[in-house]
Amino acid sequence: MLSPKDRLSKVLKREKTDRPPCICPGGMMNMVITEASKDGEAKLPEAHTDEKLMVDLAVKINEKGCFENYGLPFCMTVEVESLGAKIDMGSDIYEPHVIEYPINSVGDWRDIPKMDFEEGRVKVVTNAIKMLKKKDNNIPIVGNLTGPISVASSVVEPVSFYKGLRKQNEESHKFLEFISDQLTIFAQKQIESGVDIIVISDPSGTGEILGPKLFEEFTVKYINRIIDNLKDKNIPIAVHICGQMKSVYNQVNKIKSDVLSFDSMVSIEDSRKHLGDRLLMGNVSTYVLEYGNPEKVSQMTAKCIKDGSNIISPACGLGMRSPIENIRAMMKSVDKESKI
Amino acid sequence: MSNYKEELLKRLSDGVLYMEDEDVIEASKEYVVSGYPILDGIMQGLVDGMNQASKLYEEEEYFVTDILLCSDAMYEGLDILRPHLPQSESEKIRPKGVIGVVEGDTHDIGKNLVKIMLETAGFDMIDLGRDVPLNEFVEIAKKEKVSFVCMSTLMTTTMDGMGKVVELLRDAGIREDVKVVIGGGPISKKFADNIGADGYSSNAVEAVNLLKNLLNIA
Repeated sequence: MLSPKDRLSKVLKREKTDRPPCICPGGMMNMVITEASKDGEAKLPEAHTDEKLMVDLAVKINEKGCFENYGLPFCMTVEVESLGAKIDMGSDIYEPHVIEYPINSVGDWRDIPKMDFEEGRVKVVTNAIKMLKKKDNNIPIVGNLTGPISVASSVVEPVSFYKGLRKQNEESHKFLEFISDQLTIFAQKQIESGVDIIVISDPSGTGEILGPKLFEEFTVKYINRIIDNLKDKNIPIAVHICGQMKSVYNQVNKIKSDVLSFDSMVSIEDSRKHLGDRLLMGNVSTYVLEYGNPEKVSQMTAKCIKDGSNIISPACGLGMRSPIENIRAMMKSVDKESKI
Repeated sequence: MSNYKEELLKRLSDGVLYMEDEDVIEASKEYVVSGYPILDGIMQGLVDGMNQASKLYEEEEYFVTDILLCSDAMYEGLDILRPHLPQSESEKIRPKGVIGVVEGDTHDIGKNLVKIMLETAGFDMIDLGRDVPLNEFVEIAKKEKVSFVCMSTLMTTTMDGMGKVVELLRDAGIREDVKVVIGGGPISKKFADNIGADGYSSNAVEAVNLLKNLLNIA
């Protein structure tokens, strides 16, 4: 039987496997649920800031039969904190989130500090990745990056940011170059620490918010800038974009990642139709995972596989109150499908 | 209608529609000076432009960033025109609502959009902002005697808070006095029904009609 790491790696190389992998990337795509983490010390919010707890929690989620991967960090605020945003670390049911933006206008981007990779949670994450890597146990490690638009709109107040894209267009581009290049270094550090794949999630850079023109001009351009600058690392990259795709399929197809992933409102059937033979990840509804039952989860998972999802995963971050039986139902269903 | 008034109204409306806030400011000042009814300037000028923008938004010609810029232009104009409204108009009671993004979430673009559309439609909105503690919705609803509560979230992790607010409204004895409407990425009609909300809207334009229906406003 294939190890989880080999299976994922084969899928990424478009080689034949016994069945699709079933993973939850982490980062914005939260994989931690309270029911799986309640016993022991490794839980949230403590594990957001402590490398040992972070490792223990990632291992625990995997060992409880939820997903066949490790994925760090458990939130999307590590990068923006390092860039000067104030963060509320959340709780065992809420994710960490930004409570204070360091600048008010894209024009002030030069006041943002560069990320310090030897300090704070950025360092916690890379240290945790190194510890997971040492286990050398054939479980793939997913490193996560918050996408450039989401980071930028967490450093500048979002409404001001979105207006700035038009009104201070040139400065916005310089600002996003800076952000993308900082993110690239963070990705490089994660790769050097031992991740097997990088997932970039950019929930704030949607086509619904930006429209096709700005989506291509900013979201596609700066995600590709990061991908291009990581090329020499030879590491697979997946990109997750939220929101409806129908107005931006052409633009999304220009994203040069190995894998694309969307919200559950975009069915695999539909994205497969528009995106040809691109590798797709996803996308079991997190609503069903939280409020449905194992049977319904199995049905949806089976449908994702049938419609051509290459990597099975939740469509978004898991609600932390999702029952563990629902999460396990995904895994079981993937396993079952392979035997048919 | 005089040609000049018509010309000014068109400049107000076009200025909003094409996001030209400088033009709107200038036309608004000229409109005040020329003494035409202020309410017409607001409704047939600024609001008309915003309504056209909403229509383009529904048709997916305009996107969220466009609406934000259009509304900026509209508010610039409103700041100039509103102080000149006759008292009978400015004191007219408008249906009042409270709006916010529930605790744990800071994504407020959708919420801002809904607020803009509701204000354009003539509702009086109290904006609690983002990451709003659940009991704040209830306290403000009670204090301000609002007729509706709007909540949004983009995250699955925080959507349960909405059900909690419905409960808190019940505990405070004002559940029957307010309509509760919710929206946001992971929210659905089914979820709204499950938590006992009065309505769900998948977008900002629809939210206006939803509330008008719930509040029996033509």
